[in-house]
Amino acid sequence: MALDLQMPILVVDDYKTMIRIIRNLLKQLGFTDIDDAADGTEAYEKMKQRRYGLVISDWNMEPMTGYELLKQVRQDAALCKTPFIMVTAESKTENVIAAKKAGVNNYIVKPFNAQTLKGKIEAVFAD
Amino acid sequence: MTKIDIQQLIDFLEESREKSSEVTLTDVMGLAEVMTGSMGDIIEHIQPAVTVELAEIGAEIARMKAEISKLRVADMRDNHIPDAGRELDAIVSSTEEATHSIMEAAEAIMAADPEDIQAYQDTVNNQVMEIFQACAFQDITGQRISKVVSTLNTIDERVSNFVERLRLEQEAHNEQGGEETDEERRKRELILHGPQHKGEGVSQDEIDAMLGDVQQDDIDKLFA
Repeated sequence: MALDLQMPILVVDDYKTMIRIIRNLLKQLGFTDIDDAADGTEAYEKMKQRRYGLVISDWNMEPMTGYELLKQVRQDAALCKTPFIMVTAESKTENVIAAKKAGVNNYIVKPFNAQTLKGKIEAVFAD
Repeated sequence: MTKIDIQQLIDFLEESREKSSEVTLTDVMGLAEVMTGSMGDIIEHIQPAVTVELAEIGAEIARMKAEISKLRVADMRDNHIPDAGRELDAIVSSTEEATHSIMEAAEAIMAADPEDIQAYQDTVNNQVMEIFQACAFQDITGQRISKVVSTLNTIDERVSNFVERLRLEQEAHNEQGGEETDEERRKRELILHGPQHKGEGVSQDEIDAMLGDVQQDDIDKLFA
């Protein structure tokens, strides 16, 4: 399936710099509609207001982590199909397994580059 | 107990009362020292062995007082730890500023119009210089980090010496199942380990393999 470069993407991270990096990388990849949130709670509220084509989320945030956001999204009938990529410095095996069990579509470990991000987005939409 | 002993005890208590309403460990040890000293004459007549014990206790208390003073707790609390905190705040601030400058420059390059070759070249050159200048933060933060490490080493050395000289048993907090704090529980339940050091954790390739080839049954086996 060809990537829809107009699809709205929600970037969730508590570090503004990381949001800015991901935003710029996505822009370089051709995506034009990029929104952001500072933690899981804000992201979930935004997801209830708008249908995003992809969520790219950090794990370690307060008060709601990306892991909690993922589980909440997957339990929400209206949002459960939203593609979800975790981008995080949490690189223990148990984190990856927990994310997989919770229904993550892909998992990127920080630091990462544009090629990795592009590859994972393409993989998510190729499935 | 002689009149002199009793007077010493009264003086000590009055002095402590004037200093502060809070009773510190040093106060308790000081009181014990005076008490053991003042009771020596009485007990000497009752049982000589007790006198020896009391003398040893008194000596031990005096030694503990000396060790506590070597720890220089006030110095650590008032100087070393606040200084380290200020250094770390400065590191956070300078890395943030540098990142901002670098990203500003990168975004300016991305937004530059390549149609006008001369203007484009000037923009790239100027912004690259900005990036080089911003990278100078690494030198300063390196020095700040060294100061923090030095502070931690000083505290570690003093506390380790204190524990060793007082022959205190190391508290095996985790092994003895110390009470879990709210912060520890949150980290455990939400699987928050933070960044791993080089060689620890799993690589992107390993993650890809886990997400791609490994089936749920394989994952479940890891927990069996």
